[in-house]
Amino acid sequence: MYVEMKDICKTFDGFQASDHVSFGIEKGQMAALLGPSGSGKTTILRMLAGLDRPDSGDIMINGFRVNDLPGNKRGIGFVFQNYALFRYMTVADNIGFGLEVQKKSKAEIKERVEELLELISMEDLGKRYPHQLSGGQKQRVAFARALAPGPGLLLLDEPFAAIDAKVRRELRNWLRDMIGRVGITSIFVTHDQEEAMEVANQVIIINQGKIEQIGTPEEICFHPKTEFVADFIETERFSQGGK
Amino acid sequence: MREKIKAFLPLFGPKGQNCFGGLGKKTAAFALCGILAASCLAGCGDGSGSDKKGDGTELLNVSYDPTREFYAEYNDIFCKYWKEQGGSDVTVTQSHGGSGSQARSVIEGNEADVVTLALAHDITAIENSGMIEEGWSEEFEGDSAPYTSTIVFLVRKGNEKNIKDWDDLVKDGVEVITPNPKTSGGACWNFLAAWAYEQQNGKSEQETEEFLTKLYQNVLVLDSGARGATNTFVENRQGDVLIAWENEAYLSLDTHPDEYEIVTPSVSILAQPSVAVVDKYAKDHGTEELAAAYLEHLYSDEAQRLAGKHHYRPSNEEILQEFSDKFDLEMNLVTIDDFGGWDKAYETYFQDGAVFDQIYTE
Amino acid sequence: MAKKKQRSYQQDVVGDSINSIQKVVKPSEEGGSRIVKYLLIGLSVLFLFVMLALPLAVVAANAWKEGWEAYRKAVMDEYTIKALQLTLLATVTAVAVNTVFGVFAAFLLSKFYFRGRQALAALIDIPFSISPVIAGLVFILTFGNMGWMGDFLDKYDIKIVFAVPGVILATIFVTFPFVFRELFPVLNAQGKDEEEAAALMGANGWRIFWRITFPHIKWALLYGIILCSARAMGEFGAVSVISGHLRGKTNTLPLHVEILYNEFNTAAAFAVSSILVALAVLILIVKSLVEWKKK
Repeated sequence: MYVEMKDICKTFDGFQASDHVSFGIEKGQMAALLGPSGSGKTTILRMLAGLDRPDSGDIMINGFRVNDLPGNKRGIGFVFQNYALFRYMTVADNIGFGLEVQKKSKAEIKERVEELLELISMEDLGKRYPHQLSGGQKQRVAFARALAPGPGLLLLDEPFAAIDAKVRRELRNWLRDMIGRVGITSIFVTHDQEEAMEVANQVIIINQGKIEQIGTPEEICFHPKTEFVADFIETERFSQGGK
Repeated sequence: MREKIKAFLPLFGPKGQNCFGGLGKKTAAFALCGILAASCLAGCGDGSGSDKKGDGTELLNVSYDPTREFYAEYNDIFCKYWKEQGGSDVTVTQSHGGSGSQARSVIEGNEADVVTLALAHDITAIENSGMIEEGWSEEFEGDSAPYTSTIVFLVRKGNEKNIKDWDDLVKDGVEVITPNPKTSGGACWNFLAAWAYEQQNGKSEQETEEFLTKLYQNVLVLDSGARGATNTFVENRQGDVLIAWENEAYLSLDTHPDEYEIVTPSVSILAQPSVAVVDKYAKDHGTEELAAAYLEHLYSDEAQRLAGKHHYRPSNEEILQEFSDKFDLEMNLVTIDDFGGWDKAYETYFQDGAVFDQIYTE
Repeated sequence: MAKKKQRSYQQDVVGDSINSIQKVVKPSEEGGSRIVKYLLIGLSVLFLFVMLALPLAVVAANAWKEGWEAYRKAVMDEYTIKALQLTLLATVTAVAVNTVFGVFAAFLLSKFYFRGRQALAALIDIPFSISPVIAGLVFILTFGNMGWMGDFLDKYDIKIVFAVPGVILATIFVTFPFVFRELFPVLNAQGKDEEEAAALMGANGWRIFWRITFPHIKWALLYGIILCSARAMGEFGAVSVISGHLRGKTNTLPLHVEILYNEFNTAAAFAVSSILVALAVLILIVKSLVEWKKK
């Protein structure tokens, strides 16, 4: 297991956000944390990122217990829901920021940035500023920025929530291909089951801070383990969407 | 939502250590205090030149309002005199304002080497705070009053309202300008002069109070200092009559020829502005000798004539005679002793809740 | 120029049908609204003229009333120069201190959530609500001989009231909230996402501040500094109480103007006032440049 959460509990002011959450994700897998609003999926993501601390339990990344490590030392990349691009820096500077922090040489940074710009097919847009980009382009830059420092784990918080429906499908496919190509372990949070089923190869269903089921999209759809999962997944819709 | 807010708290990282590195709350607070302290000290180092202990060549003269022009000239005279006596170069810094306010500022920390104020009472206040030694009024001649003045009326040319004496000030439609006795020494003299007038005319306490009440009801503006009152009357052209120091009145005639007239009331008071060395600060600054000499020199012929030139009545009788054509030497003047001395007078009339307060709030 | 562009854009995007509706509505609207427009403009101009242009003209006229020689003498006078120096010293110090403080405080209060946050923000605004004279009095009561810090200061021969530090302190106090108030709303609106993202990538406090926060607040900061300077230069009440009016030592330009006026030296008073006016105009020019550059 590359990423493991062992018996994680987290309470916010009496409200149980995570209730004995345990799961594991293999290296190179693309996992989706799926559940209704308020189910605690974002909390799990933030704890993985180091933005929140679990009350009890262990978080393991690549075999190391990282509970006490600050976020920037865990080797993770984070893609925010609203991209959180640095609006006063160019696209190139945005992407290279993580490397700057790591004090890499200018040449190294330039090379890597170019590499990533090519990856996201925005070679000519390096000098643009975020406000000059479309929603889809911003998303891609956020992705590249998270990847630049070469993390081992990529975390995405509702990556398509801010994108309009037309572009969403294209972007979904693009992200799935990209991540597959780069081969990085990734976890993304979503409340859209179609999205989870289409993009991920491992789905973790969460409800009220508890894990309902973990499995491949097929397993979840055709072999729901709990009543909640059965209700939650609308098989007809899924089969209509189709891969 | 609450979740999100609380979630933000641990941006300080898992162990409470700060993800933001150096920019933590504590650092900010320390840096802040540091900057304030630094700027205070910088300001101290920068501006304390005049107050170095034991320097001995700088004097601070905290004076009252109308003496600006006089001391500007006197300081030049004194510096020259001191040089001639073999002394070093001296710089005298002046500060002017309402006598009471100035006295209070000295008590609060204004490090005056000498005070040259409008009435003995203000200097007594400084004495009571321990900064001036007892017996200061005997230090110099004439109860430490090198020059005197009195209270007169200043009216506009033509004297439309036909103001001749105190009685005219309480008539309807007459607008009076006089400063506030709480802050201005001249205002106290004004008040007492008016009181003396009534008393001299055989009026009772009650009637005198009523008279003064009516007088102050006619007051248009109550400035904080004598000079402020003069400005209100002369520059801002407010009021029909200004109750003023004699020297202020003459100064106004000088600066605005043909626009004003002086009316001498039948009864007035001998106003004695006093001077003293502020022992505490003079000792601190090492200027005891210099300060004493500074005040002593006010009695020299040179300075006495200068005082006369600036419309003060020299305390030197002979030199006063030289100005007999300017000053009305026959005026009916009462003195502060007729009121039982300043302490008693202040307590009776100007203390909080005393006669003036009662009159003015009615 | 911009208007023309706008109109053609409208014509492009908005259909002809809508244009024709506008044509029907316009005429009657125009007549009435034009009168209102001119009335409002007229009132504004009148107000500006009476409150701004006229006093400035009076200052100028009176400053030169006694001729150029008298003006030069008043402005070049030793005490005037000293007053100008003190005003500049107080202004620069106040701006420096309040800028650093303002940036720290705005950053702290907008990015961190802690108990007492609201109270602190309200505390910072106190100089706005207190009359400057009261502020000066408070300093005297605290740092004066009779104040509760009096003995301590006396022991170490530190002079604050009736000396230059007092003047500087008073100026700092009355201009305290200016920079903070310009920065705080901007930082608040900005949100924490970008900083969080940077922190996650391992950036330390300083890097986050310089590369992410600072560019965002650049213009607000400059504007705050300009306001702070303008206010500091013109401060009278608090400084008057605390200065002791020591000529050549603790008089700022505004205080010096008062002194000149009190000495029946009206022309000189206006002459020195014109220096203040010149400084104010300078600040306005800088402000306009900043705003122009921003666009």
